[in-house]
Amino acid sequence: MGYRVGVDIGGTFTDFCVFDEDSSALRTLKVLSRPDAPGAEVLQGLDEIERRFAISPRAISYFTHGSTVGVNSIIQGTGAKLCLFVTAGFRDVLELARLKIPDPYDLFSRRPPPLVPRDRVIELGERMNAAGEAELVPSDAAISEALRQAERAGAEGIVLAFLHSYTNPAHERLVKARIAELSPSLPVFCSADVWPIVREYERTITACIHGSVQPRVSHYIGRLEAALTARGVAPAPMITKSNGGVMTAAAGKDRSIEMLLSGTAAGVIGAGFVAQRSGFSRVMSLDIGGTSADVALLRDGMPDFRSGELVGRYPIYLPTVSVSSIGAGGGSVASVDTLGVLRVGPESAGSTPGPACYGRGGERATITDAFAALGVLGSGGLGYGAVNVDRERALAVLAPLAAGLSRDVAATAEAIVDLAVANMYREISRLFSQVGEEPSGYALLAFGGAGPMLGCLVAEAIGMEAVIIPETPGVLAALGGLLADLRSDFVRVVFLDMTAEAMGRLARAFEGLAAEARDWLHGSQGHSGEAALTISGDMRYRGQSYEIETPLEAAWIAAGDQAAITAAFHAKHAEIYGHADDKAAVQIVALRVVIAGRTPKPALPAREMTRTHVVASRKLTVTHRGADIAAGLFERRELPPGSHFDGPAVVIQDDSTTWVPPGFTGEVDAYANLILRRSGMERSSMT
Amino acid sequence: MSTLDPVTLQILKSHFEAAAESMAYTLLRTAHSAFVKETEDFTSGLTTPCGQTFASPKDLGATWFIGLDYAGAIEAIPDYRPGDICVTNDPYSGFVCTHAPDMHLWMPIFAGERLICFAVGHIHNTDMGGAVPASLSRALTEVHQEGIRIPPMKLVDAGVMNDEVLRIMLRNVRMPDQNWGDLKAQIASLKTGERKIMDAVARFGTETVCAAMHGVLDLADRQARRLFAAMADGDYVFTDYIDEDSPGGVPCRLKLCVQVRGDEAVFDFSGSDPQLQSALNMPTGGLPRHILPLVGYNYVVYSLDTTVALNAGLLRPVRCILPEGSVVNPVYPAATGMRSLTCTRIQGMVVGAFSQAMPDRLPAGPAGGGGILNVRTTDSRTGRLAMASINPITGGGGGSAREDGQDGSNSFLKNTPIEITEAEVPIKVLGYGLVPDSGGAGRHRGGLAAQMTFQLFSPNSVVTARNRDRVRFSCWGLEGGQPGATCGFLRNPGTAGEEALGNTDVVHCAPGDVLMISASGAGGWGDPYTRPLAEVLDDVAQGKVSEAGALAYGVVIEAGILDEEQTLALRARPGPALNGPAPGGLTLDPARLAFETVWSDAAWDHLSERLFALPVEWRFFMKHQVFAAVSADAAAASDPVAAIERAYASLLLSYPQVAPRTIGAAA
Repeated sequence: MGYRVGVDIGGTFTDFCVFDEDSSALRTLKVLSRPDAPGAEVLQGLDEIERRFAISPRAISYFTHGSTVGVNSIIQGTGAKLCLFVTAGFRDVLELARLKIPDPYDLFSRRPPPLVPRDRVIELGERMNAAGEAELVPSDAAISEALRQAERAGAEGIVLAFLHSYTNPAHERLVKARIAELSPSLPVFCSADVWPIVREYERTITACIHGSVQPRVSHYIGRLEAALTARGVAPAPMITKSNGGVMTAAAGKDRSIEMLLSGTAAGVIGAGFVAQRSGFSRVMSLDIGGTSADVALLRDGMPDFRSGELVGRYPIYLPTVSVSSIGAGGGSVASVDTLGVLRVGPESAGSTPGPACYGRGGERATITDAFAALGVLGSGGLGYGAVNVDRERALAVLAPLAAGLSRDVAATAEAIVDLAVANMYREISRLFSQVGEEPSGYALLAFGGAGPMLGCLVAEAIGMEAVIIPETPGVLAALGGLLADLRSDFVRVVFLDMTAEAMGRLARAFEGLAAEARDWLHGSQGHSGEAALTISGDMRYRGQSYEIETPLEAAWIAAGDQAAITAAFHAKHAEIYGHADDKAAVQIVALRVVIAGRTPKPALPAREMTRTHVVASRKLTVTHRGADIAAGLFERRELPPGSHFDGPAVVIQDDSTTWVPPGFTGEVDAYANLILRRSGMERSSMT
Repeated sequence: MSTLDPVTLQILKSHFEAAAESMAYTLLRTAHSAFVKETEDFTSGLTTPCGQTFASPKDLGATWFIGLDYAGAIEAIPDYRPGDICVTNDPYSGFVCTHAPDMHLWMPIFAGERLICFAVGHIHNTDMGGAVPASLSRALTEVHQEGIRIPPMKLVDAGVMNDEVLRIMLRNVRMPDQNWGDLKAQIASLKTGERKIMDAVARFGTETVCAAMHGVLDLADRQARRLFAAMADGDYVFTDYIDEDSPGGVPCRLKLCVQVRGDEAVFDFSGSDPQLQSALNMPTGGLPRHILPLVGYNYVVYSLDTTVALNAGLLRPVRCILPEGSVVNPVYPAATGMRSLTCTRIQGMVVGAFSQAMPDRLPAGPAGGGGILNVRTTDSRTGRLAMASINPITGGGGGSAREDGQDGSNSFLKNTPIEITEAEVPIKVLGYGLVPDSGGAGRHRGGLAAQMTFQLFSPNSVVTARNRDRVRFSCWGLEGGQPGATCGFLRNPGTAGEEALGNTDVVHCAPGDVLMISASGAGGWGDPYTRPLAEVLDDVAQGKVSEAGALAYGVVIEAGILDEEQTLALRARPGPALNGPAPGGLTLDPARLAFETVWSDAAWDHLSERLFALPVEWRFFMKHQVFAAVSADAAAASDPVAAIERAYASLLLSYPQVAPRTIGAAA
């Protein structure tokens, strides 16, 4: 037996979650991230774990890791210098993108600059048609000339993205092979290998992001492996993925793009685990950090998946845990303009200088400062003692805003919080209308540094009855990594009309994909346990230009059951859009397979509960709805399972502060999660 | 009405926006047609009981209708009961709907007995019947050809669907299932709005919610006035043209004088052409705050201050003068289907007028005129008929004091991936990309045009290109920046049979035909000779400016080698005064300047005065007659006004049945 360690590097802090396989105890830690020296914080954290908890690196039996090294290289523009080879006539695939400018009302609105500038996009004489038939095979001379241009441009890598390569990648492969002969050390990435979807911009930008981050990420993982080995960590690190899964370090070096958004994804996986275990089947996770709030919907512990999520300002089209990002966090700055209009965000004080009350140079009032002024923050540490709250500084920076609004400072602080909550209400309303559901059927799981502070207020605004604050709200991504399965996505564009003749081709495509998936799991990942294969089709009515991912059964495909497949699509269409057209012709554009191999999970057993009403021995004065009220002050670790209490209360712990307004009651469940409910609300979803 | 504290107002503003956005997402999610789901040609919103729109979604749907006034439609219905939903698509009933494909719905929301607001919205139906599929063609001349018109009426009366009007409507359109599907989605959207507003009422109380509706309108009003107050008082005149006022016609002149006085402004469109015998008319009813002439105004205000509340309050400080019987205020039964072309041109003009007041704060002329491409052809392998929207042909944004214009596009339009087009339509795309040198030169270059080249393979293929323009006259440069390039449209380019298609909007193609179509480029900002050499060289390296094109920047490059000596010498001289900047720091394109040697401002003003003295039905006819006579008049260039007067006098003799009103009595 040993210790399972999950590490997630975030923008400000690096989070650690340590699970003791013997005692089932969970320990957590945060250290400041080191964007200047990625990986250093991991080693620092291991030292700290050894020092604080007397856990030696040699005792670590499983290690998962998520890092922002790839995202940072895109945001900072420090990725590899790429050349992009495209089909002649289509040099501007990145320049034109999908045309739409981000804010059409704004005459100055801009798309992001192309990831690969036009002078490094090289046209190659080649053409494949939509049926996958070669119309023009690239000549050796043309390839050599393009390569010469790329070398003159100082290319550190080449991305090949030719029209219709999703259906026949032969030309990309041929050019790659030729370059390997001519310039063997130059990395070459085929768009059909990175992610073979139809739609040239989407496939090309995804391949370019991959080509841009892969060298750096691969180097980073290599160094980390060596450093961990040197410290005596025996297991090879597992790398967390944007799809909510993990992969081996070797796979991470090769498929670097799959880890880019793993931090938010792992947080959602952690949230799903916590919520499901506590008996909540429909949950909205709300992860509020310094600059943004990430919202995801979970049903039975499963998140939604989506493609087109943003890495910096660029979209990638691999399946990713679906998270909506709201530009409002603890560090969002409040301001009052000359017309007396109060605004909160989108500007953020971030982690540096951070809120004024952190005393690290912040001069502008933030949401966190508002909570400090109201008396909610300031009784406990933040970030494991890394930060202390200076209420006087908060009051000082709020004073000018109070003057602008002609209110007192406390009322100004409340206004800032109310407006921040109203902004989140707006964004969350959008999210629910997009999926066509009502928030009232969901519980809110709040985490991240600022989530527990705002959770109840947001729940009240949006009409949710229960709020879950996990035991370790600050390190849920690290926990999510520990819980993640080996998981990978596979896609094949088939573009078939749903006819009897098409069934054979569909079956062959499925067999190919399934074999590829099993090979990944049992081969490259060395997984010997059972595998779960999930199948879906990107389907649509002929003439629609968007597809709906429809869950399919292997048996239908094997039996050529056209009726079952079509019926599944109609049903899914009706579920999402409220209508279906049984008479319309149906197409299947792409077939998808997800393979998952279960990793050993930490057993986090239910603890014994003794229902005890607890009353705080200490009281805080908190300003609420214009009045100073006495709120109970609890230390989270002093609240055993089964204890319950009434708001108003403030619950403090190492990495976050929970605000329980009047009208809410709190209870610690058998898994040490804090469940907050609006008074008078049914205990509907507890098991 | 109680006044609300500003914080509660901001909070309710978020709730209103949440309601409008939830309406939009509901519509987008449940609609059937591509027009709604992909083109996002729809709106949703909330209005006060008298029709002032106080909330709209910001990043979903059409961007033109912020502040659309529903009063005309609302007032057409005598009484409202809970559960009512009303409808109209008639451009001449209340001037809410602006062309027949736009189906507007509005639903009263009651708090108890009190009607507190309306949930509203529209969708662009793919077809409303009429003379041509999709109901839109430049060539149509009266509104009756543009589809069935539903005057304002209750579609749902106290919760009961009016099946009879529905049956009449669906019987008269080409794709009834789609219209019906979208209509259901619209109804769902309105109900979502009602639910969200009732949530707010439950939480904040009726009085507070109602006060906040007016409060957000007042806020926008104050925000807009703040911008005017910071602007110098003055008259800012801007004139532009549509190349053709009808298929193969003569130019359509649009004239605008923005009169800024204190914190208000008048937009005077006097001098714009009489209403047209084509579908380019913009039905406004002469309403002083109709949204169609004010779309560009919303963009200007928002671009200067992106924190403004986007609602009808922004329009309060302004008032339009829209002469009756003109292209900006046609009288029934003028066709209005293609009013979007005119509206787009006026958007640019409004920006152009304000740019004279604030040349450092607004961009030069935007690209446009590329059109929206559709194709109808047959798959020679399967025999299946394929009809599809291929792409909008777009161009960039104007250069500005801040930076170069965006290349390739400047709006909310999206393209269709080439791989999808080729998989679905039996055409082959030979190229899709930017047109080098199409952006106007400047300290900050105008955005480049996009161009698409494709080949058709079967007989009887038809390509339509709606909203084509800017083939003849280009857009303007600002502060010494140069105009953008004009649009192109060629059949079989580079072959012996090459044919220029100009502004043609319907092209019949033979097997093997290649079409090459491009938008215009956008104007540049500032003296191109002051553009840093490194930026010019980078543009050349990127292929956005050719070696020949670099000359416009005073940069001499040959075969990849910079001639420093010549460049230095060239750039030491004053900027390339193509024609000397026009008043207001504008640089106009040579074709326009040549045209205006005869058709000067004074000549147009004179013609306009004469035409507007005539009965409405004579104006367009007489304009064309005068144009024909003047172009045949060798002496026109030396004194165009006299030439017009000669032509006009002789026409009055030929048509004694026309009695012009006495000049001076003209409205």
